[in-house]
Amino acid sequence: MDAQPAIAVEGVTKRFRLEGGREFTALDDVSLSLAEGEFVTLLGPSGCGKSTILRLVAALEEPSAGRVAVEGRPPAELSRQHRLGVAFQDHALLPWLDVASNIALPFKVAGMRVDAERVAGLIRLVGLSGFEKARPRQLSGGMRQRVAIARALVLKPDVLLLDEPFGALDAVTRRGMNIELQRIWTEQRTTTLLVTHDVGEALFLSDRIVVLSGRPGRVVRVVDVPFERPRHPSIMRSDLFHGMSDDLTEALHPPAELP
Amino acid sequence: MSAVLRALRASWGILAILLFWQIWVGLSGVNSIVLPGPAAILRSLADAPGLYLSSTAQTLALAALGLVLGLLLGAGLAVLTWFSSLLAGLLTPLGIIFASVPVVALIPVLARIFGYDMRTVLAIVVIISFFPSFVFTGAGLRALPPGSADLFRVLGASTWRRLTLLALPAAVPDMSVALRLAAANSILAAMVAEFLMGTSGLGYLFAAARSDFDMEKALAASAIATVISVTSFLLASRVENWAARNWR
Amino acid sequence: MTEQRKALLLGSLGILGFLALWEAVGQGRWLGLSWPPLSAVLALLADENRQPLFARALGATLSSLGTGYAIGWAAGIGAAVLAHLVAPLREGLERTNAFIHAVPSVALAPLLILLVGREGTPATLAALNTFFILYVSTASGLGATQPALRDLVQVLGGSRWTRFIRLDLPLSLPTVVSGMRLAAPSALIGVIIGEWFGAPRGLGVLVINAMQNFQIPLLWSAVLLAVMVSLSLFAILGALHRGVVARLR
Repeated sequence: MDAQPAIAVEGVTKRFRLEGGREFTALDDVSLSLAEGEFVTLLGPSGCGKSTILRLVAALEEPSAGRVAVEGRPPAELSRQHRLGVAFQDHALLPWLDVASNIALPFKVAGMRVDAERVAGLIRLVGLSGFEKARPRQLSGGMRQRVAIARALVLKPDVLLLDEPFGALDAVTRRGMNIELQRIWTEQRTTTLLVTHDVGEALFLSDRIVVLSGRPGRVVRVVDVPFERPRHPSIMRSDLFHGMSDDLTEALHPPAELP
Repeated sequence: MSAVLRALRASWGILAILLFWQIWVGLSGVNSIVLPGPAAILRSLADAPGLYLSSTAQTLALAALGLVLGLLLGAGLAVLTWFSSLLAGLLTPLGIIFASVPVVALIPVLARIFGYDMRTVLAIVVIISFFPSFVFTGAGLRALPPGSADLFRVLGASTWRRLTLLALPAAVPDMSVALRLAAANSILAAMVAEFLMGTSGLGYLFAAARSDFDMEKALAASAIATVISVTSFLLASRVENWAARNWR
Repeated sequence: MTEQRKALLLGSLGILGFLALWEAVGQGRWLGLSWPPLSAVLALLADENRQPLFARALGATLSSLGTGYAIGWAAGIGAAVLAHLVAPLREGLERTNAFIHAVPSVALAPLLILLVGREGTPATLAALNTFFILYVSTASGLGATQPALRDLVQVLGGSRWTRFIRLDLPLSLPTVVSGMRLAAPSALIGVIIGEWFGAPRGLGVLVINAMQNFQIPLLWSAVLLAVMVSLSLFAILGALHRGVVARLR
């Protein structure tokens, strides 16, 4: 028998009440599971409810039906124990703190002593040495996201949740950040759930890709990614990568929807 | 040279007013009992600075103490409403109403309640500083950077840590706006209160000198209050600019 | 919608609670005779024999307030537009305003009595207070146009004047109206202080006379009347502000 999954989403349906009393089904009977140390990406068009899945795992929402478990327990328990790491599209850095203090914030929130060496190590890992004392407003968009990712990792979380962390970046910076994240992740191997609508990003980073359809969100396909780790950026130019990329793009936009 | 030009560029308006005043007093030949010129007021200040010192110290101390107390009480109540949405719902509209009440008009009422002494002056400055502090801190505690509320939930922050690490620091720019609004007003309110009740301090000095027809002395007292008010306004604006710069 | 209704309900409860407390403190004489119950103050305001007194005082105060507010409004906006169009004047105008605003009203009042007489002093103080707030809010509103919009007008070949009329001026409207709202209580304070310096009529005169003659309920009635004037103006101008913001967003 397998060990219990790190993250289990079982038959989850999520409905939101709209203004005027109408209901909107964001997720319909979604199931997925992540093994420990696995990197899984939720890929889907915007508005397909992929962020809702991540928010359910982060205990920011409650499912209307079904069950979400992290290490076999309700996710709220994990967040109370400060064992979740998270990075959002808007970096959510505190503007009044410098880079080092922003990264150290989870220690303070957890009421723990700040491990200065851990913070310094992460600043090196995300390539921000020399920017310890800079304020978020002095950084570029890419640098802010590096800070947000370092902050997500600082407590050595059991589970890392990334919600479109590079969604606000330009294409070139985004590719660069993908390569960086791949390098950082290979050193830590934290169980990771990434939400994105970028096919290349999903292929380059994940072990497995879960493709969702929109309105209501349903799992339409699960794809295993065959590339060996550590991954070199050159795989993005391989035929296999291009072929899978085309397949996934088609799965995202069924032919009927294309003009 | 350029420093002189810069200073001139910034303060030409004030200089023009003072100059016009001085020339007008000289030309129209009004009696100095009715209206002395700026030079005469300055001379009166320079001749007997000790005369003004204790009054100034007293008014300044009352205004500063009242300002600090009012700001702290206002911020404290705002924090209480942050904890309880019931309290917030009950008190926020009341606070907004009171923040737009002409508090100076309440001085006679407060004087009757607290008695004609320094405590009333203090109470008035406290009340004048309290309402902006309550309203602005209350708004600031809820003006969080995007995504930060979710972040703190995922990190499993306790209510206390959410207050001290997120809401209170986030409120600093709004609190500095309250400080700027209240700082300049506190000394002026103290002076009006002292003037009306005739107890002590700069306002009393002004009232007493005026009834002795010593306008030089009366206006010298106002000049001191003006300088203090401008200085505290400029200092508070500096704090506000600093917060606006670092909290973006 | 339900959230809104809940906020309204709680807010009204809070205000009712405050009024009830006022009544209780007065009835129980917890603060002595200086704090009359709300009902006594309202009864005095409704007393027919007193109506002419209140009407005269209110009329004088409102007329000073209206005159002063209108003059301060026009001058404040005019000065801010001037500073906006003629950059070298800006810093000096700003300093002058902050300086005039910082001069204590009690100190200005005797000078003004000399310059404009006892009757004109309340309106002049109101004008000065209004001027300051409208200058500051108009200046900040005019300066807040997004650079991208400014570039757009320039690319389309608009002159500086076109930019001002079509862009800066309409975009500054919400800030200006917000300033108009803030100026109302401030102008009223100016009128009342001006009246304390010996105007023949007005709510401020009524307040001072009642204070000196220990007519406690009359004192409170006059103050309450002044507060009601301030709040109604604040509410009317607040509605105007909401209308303007809704139109421009």
